[in-house]
Amino acid sequence: MRIFLACAVAAALCGQSYPPEKQRQIESFEKVWTTIRDKHWQKNPGGLDWQAIHAEFYPRILGAKSDEEAVTMMREMLGRLQQTHFGIFPAAVYNDVEGEGGGDGSTGIDLRVLDGQAVVTDIDPGSSAERTGVKPGWIVVSANARPLEPVIQKLKSDPAIHELALERAVRMRLTGPVGDSIKVTFLDGANAQVTRDLELRPERGQTARYGNLPPMRVFFETKKLGDTGYVRFNMFLDLVRVMGSFADAVQSFAQCDGLIIDLRGNPGGIGGMAMGMAGWLVDKPDQRLGTMYMRDATLNFVINPRADVFNGPVAVLVDGSSASTSEILAEGLKDLGRARIFGTKTAAAALPSIFERLPNGDGFQYATANYISAGGKPLEGIGVTPDVEVKLTRDGLLAGHDAVVDAALEWIRKKK
Amino acid sequence: MNRRYIVAALLGFSSLAYAQDEPLPKADTILDRYVEVTGGKAAYEKRKNEVATGTLEFKAQGLKGAVTRYSAEPAEEYLIMEIDGVGKIESGMDKGVAWDKNPMLGPRIKSGAERAQALREGTFNASVHWREFYPKVETTGTETVDGELCYKVVLTPKEGNPETTYYQKKSGLAVKTTTVAVSPMGDVPFEVVTGDYKTFGGVTMPTRITQKAAGQEFSLTIQDVKINQALPADRFDPPAEIKALLSKAAEKK
Repeated sequence: MRIFLACAVAAALCGQSYPPEKQRQIESFEKVWTTIRDKHWQKNPGGLDWQAIHAEFYPRILGAKSDEEAVTMMREMLGRLQQTHFGIFPAAVYNDVEGEGGGDGSTGIDLRVLDGQAVVTDIDPGSSAERTGVKPGWIVVSANARPLEPVIQKLKSDPAIHELALERAVRMRLTGPVGDSIKVTFLDGANAQVTRDLELRPERGQTARYGNLPPMRVFFETKKLGDTGYVRFNMFLDLVRVMGSFADAVQSFAQCDGLIIDLRGNPGGIGGMAMGMAGWLVDKPDQRLGTMYMRDATLNFVINPRADVFNGPVAVLVDGSSASTSEILAEGLKDLGRARIFGTKTAAAALPSIFERLPNGDGFQYATANYISAGGKPLEGIGVTPDVEVKLTRDGLLAGHDAVVDAALEWIRKKK
Repeated sequence: MNRRYIVAALLGFSSLAYAQDEPLPKADTILDRYVEVTGGKAAYEKRKNEVATGTLEFKAQGLKGAVTRYSAEPAEEYLIMEIDGVGKIESGMDKGVAWDKNPMLGPRIKSGAERAQALREGTFNASVHWREFYPKVETTGTETVDGELCYKVVLTPKEGNPETTYYQKKSGLAVKTTTVAVSPMGDVPFEVVTGDYKTFGGVTMPTRITQKAAGQEFSLTIQDVKINQALPADRFDPPAEIKALLSKAAEKK
């Protein structure tokens, strides 16, 4: 009898063993709870007693009857923060976001989801898509005989998946190893089905390396549209080259009527680069784009005016795939009255957030800082609302027009 | 007598006895002792300039680079850090002008408390000159750092935030400093841990420096220090972009 009692006490003290499914639920819950405790920018995340949150939810997780019920509880726990960028994506959806395909090879097609369809918006010069006559405005129907529409509909129906993730997931299906090819079926300008065998080549730009980040291809494009300067780059990375190119471009456009900075499709990168670029556009000292709040520091995104600042009108172009540093730069310049914003609402994903896989296979997203723009508004979950909302249309693209660029040029022309 | 009370009384007594037997040394004594244990004032004063070279690393980010620091009497400094993927970061102090320049934020002239901080750090043989910068120094207690008992000294500068430096009781060497660093991005709590002291040209200095600020850790390893080198006359001249900013500021005045 005494031995039995001792064993029972020992079991109670040492913890119980659970079936594998329950163990995964517990480990996933602990991972989520501990991550918020250790990495949230507030010591009391969301102003809550986070230990009390554990005491409340742990027994509920133990009682959860299924993985789905446990995930619902974890979502409820994260919901108590009342902050965006904290979410759990079911494994099935997370797999769709991560996508099929993948690899360094690109068809050279850029696309956006317009009215539920993947529409070609741009084609890299010299790419197989250009060589085989693919045009902006064509609809991508399938890649290697796998239709895109079901993926788009599935991801669009999940409110947790924003435009940026949706377009990334779709674009991913047009990638693969360099040297392979993909059979892509389109609807052309006359809505006829056409299929092209597209060779996958390294993405446009140059390979950039930054610490532990995987190597990424970064391009910087600059041109003159009449008397207006235009710059576009796909990421705030490759710091030395992109900052140098931006400086050269702004200086070469010194006599231009205005400057267009195209941040559409730019998911961000190194936050500090936004400050550096703003230094070429803002002459007034002691200005800032905004402020980032972390657990042990508050960082002002200050602007150092350069000796030869560009003083003409500045238009910044954004869309739902403009995120993070793109949003910080666009909203900061808007708040300071230094730029007019054209396009569609941005991704509302300005915070440095991290995606991790939970023990149960679900995806877990969490933010490690908060950011308030110069005008006092958080960007997270709100995004940058353009001053002039202009949407790309398939008809416009087929006619060779970029409605957003056209609107910016028209504004600059009137400011002359 | 209650046994618990006896233990408490003994502990209280022993603590009081320690305090009475070993009063905290004055901060002046600790700071002057640091100069002595690292070579002595005469050794410092033989040094007219210094060129230090080493490596740096932001481990969490996977960023590495090389660092070279030129410094000379009375308060001339030129620091170059070349970091893979980030580029060349330069900063300096020349005839009272403190500046920095990096590929991200561009060139900048420091002012106010930030300039004062740069001047304290850029002054050659700064350890010998602490009285010029800190009107108030105070030993506030003892604390164990890395298993070694240290005196905790708070140095309050003429301008800027107080610095707390921990000096090992046994060796007299500084092993940690905490402060709130002044930067244009805001006041950032800052911790510097120093170690691996080595002697170059008669003066002992730390060759491993780890800085923690804003959730980032940065480590610096000094590999070589050359003393009293023949430096070019323009070694400490600010770069052209800084001179352009100085001209622009002068025009505005």
